[in-house]
Amino acid sequence: MLPVSYYLIVAAIIFSIGAYGVMTLRSGIMIMMCVELMLNSANINLIAFASHFSQVNGHVFVLFSIALAAAEAAIGFAILMSIFRSKNNVNIDNMNILRW
Amino acid sequence: MAVDNIVYLIPALPVLAFVLTLAFGKKLPSGGGYIPILAIAISCIISILAFLQIYKTGTPIEVSAPWFSVLNVGILIDPLASVMLLMVTFVSLLIHIYAIGYMAHDPAKPRYFAETALFTAAMLGVVLSDNILQLFISWELVGLCSYLLIGFWFRKPTAAAAGKKAFLTTRVGDVLFLAGIVILYSNMVEHVLPHITGNETVYLLQFSTIFENIHHIPSGQLTIITLLFFGGAVGKSGQFPLHVWLPDAMEGPTTVSALIHAATMVTAGVYLVARTFPMFIASPGVELAGITIPATLTVVAYIGGFTALFASTMGLVMNDIKRVLAFSTISQLGYMMLALGMGSVIGAAAVGFAMFHLINHAFFKACLFLCAGSVIHSTGTNDLREMGGLMSKMKITGITMLFASLALAGIGIPFLKIAGTPIGTSGFVSKDAIIVEGTYVFAHMTNDWIPFAFGILAALLTAIYTFRLWFMAFTGKPRQERHPHESPATMTGVLSVLAAFALVFGMLTFVPFLDFVGHTYDHHEIEHLAGLGGNHIIDHHELHHIITEETSPIIFLLPVIVGVGGLLLAWVIYNRRWINVASIGNMKNPLFVILAKRYYQHEIFIELISLKFTYGVLALTSEFSDRKIVDGIINGISSFFIGGAEVLKKIQTGVVQNYATATVLGVGLLALILSFRGVI
Repeated sequence: MLPVSYYLIVAAIIFSIGAYGVMTLRSGIMIMMCVELMLNSANINLIAFASHFSQVNGHVFVLFSIALAAAEAAIGFAILMSIFRSKNNVNIDNMNILRW
Repeated sequence: MAVDNIVYLIPALPVLAFVLTLAFGKKLPSGGGYIPILAIAISCIISILAFLQIYKTGTPIEVSAPWFSVLNVGILIDPLASVMLLMVTFVSLLIHIYAIGYMAHDPAKPRYFAETALFTAAMLGVVLSDNILQLFISWELVGLCSYLLIGFWFRKPTAAAAGKKAFLTTRVGDVLFLAGIVILYSNMVEHVLPHITGNETVYLLQFSTIFENIHHIPSGQLTIITLLFFGGAVGKSGQFPLHVWLPDAMEGPTTVSALIHAATMVTAGVYLVARTFPMFIASPGVELAGITIPATLTVVAYIGGFTALFASTMGLVMNDIKRVLAFSTISQLGYMMLALGMGSVIGAAAVGFAMFHLINHAFFKACLFLCAGSVIHSTGTNDLREMGGLMSKMKITGITMLFASLALAGIGIPFLKIAGTPIGTSGFVSKDAIIVEGTYVFAHMTNDWIPFAFGILAALLTAIYTFRLWFMAFTGKPRQERHPHESPATMTGVLSVLAAFALVFGMLTFVPFLDFVGHTYDHHEIEHLAGLGGNHIIDHHELHHIITEETSPIIFLLPVIVGVGGLLLAWVIYNRRWINVASIGNMKNPLFVILAKRYYQHEIFIELISLKFTYGVLALTSEFSDRKIVDGIINGISSFFIGGAEVLKKIQTGVVQNYATATVLGVGLLALILSFRGVI
């Protein structure tokens, strides 16, 4: 059985890729996908620790988290749809009307 | 007594008349002018009743009620107040009757009669007040009414401006007066209140309380208070340098001028000084030729004397008939102040002389103004140069005005005395008393001849300008084609009554009047008060001794000599025309120019003091410091923050990613710091 640190390292790498994507990408859809990456890296952590400590709590949390992510994605894509309708693209850096 | 219970009606009835006339005047005949006449007539009758009671019993009428805290409202009718009451109600009554005829063609009659009724009520309030605060309130009401009435024809710009000028100029004096009251009140609270024991109610600003406790007030404070009071009197009574409003007050109807100059308003200042005379006499003394005399009374004397002379010189060259009379009023008020100032040597007798001249002046000045009104009414001009030869057309006006002029010039027979009463016009009797028993005795005691010189010179000039006016208006040939006619009977009747008073009032009442008013203040009390300031005043016997034993006949003759001399001079110049007026009175004569320009007062007051100094220096400096310095600091602070915000607001880009980046960087930085410090 692999030590828990391997899982954690993979999760950290995925989280970093997700965070980098959120900070740099322009397309709204790509950002949504990066957010999903970050969520899933957290899920990996939970599962890793759950199996490490042989406890079921982590699994339950992850199930909740996946359900939450699904709901969040639905809302996010709905927002992106309406942005697309008004602007004909989903570039987030065009969406700067909430500024000075 | 019954009179005590109805004295409050004296000011209350004219107030009621004011309300009624204002509300219903339009629907009544003569603009409701009969309501104030009736009200003032009843006031006059009550005043007479009150006078008779005081004259018989010798005790003043005092009615007083608490107002709030240590203050009260009340009525005090002592001899001083009662003679003023008689004069104010009587002259005001006559002027109101006259106004029925004079204002007959004016559409705003209800407003006129309402305002004059209020004016009379306010003046009665001044006279009747038994405490200084109530006096001040009435005093302000007088100022308000003068503003309303001088600007009665407010559609005329000059009248509106004159009203404003009168209001603002007297306001300077009013502020001083109020300051005096405030200082007096704080002194009363600080120094007098601790001395009051027992449960009796004491009203701090009541005259009787003030006079009884003068010795508790520090003398330095007393000087300040009396000087401030006198400042108020200077404003109201048109003394130098606040006299400038009086000549302009001619813009109102002539009856208003008569009311202001004779019965109400200007005499309020003299009355104030007479009312607070015990405070003046108790002020600390100055040394003059070996005897100490109260300092503030000396100031009063000098300002009064100077005003008397100063105003009469300007009266010489005015061409507007009412302006001549206005300067004459200022000059005569100067005489009254001069007389009060002589109290520094002769004590309370001075109050008698001043009041006597005040009453006499009220009669002959009211007569002169109403005659002038009659002349203006019939010729339609104010300019003396356009009149002439009116005697044939307006006999009653001419003769009554001649009598009043004789009174103003002080023509009489010296040395001839019947039962102690001099024989002459009322102006002669009172002015002679001021000059001889006032200024001469002052000079005799202190070797200071300046007030005497003021009095004599002003008397000479008074005679000249008075008869210049009369000769120019009533004798010679008409200088312009006009159609003068005698005025209606309401007007000439009043003129006749006033002229009769101007002629004989002085003679008939000389001895009893001075005796009566002289008892307003107890002589021993006054002597005691004078002693507080280290002053010595001479008593009745000493005065009598100086007058009968140590006065050369020339002194008695001098006032009459200058009076008759002035008359003759005016006759020679303006009637016979042996001397060509144009050769003296032209713009090449520097003296004439100065007089005609009224000593450049307009230039000095308006252009130098107001425009150059007040506006140019004070106002512009304040404006600069306000706009640039005070506002500059405020604007600087705000523009610093606005500018900073302009820069800082760029951080809020509206792009969510930037915020996310900042959050990640922040968390990373926090993690780094914590790990360095060994927390994580």
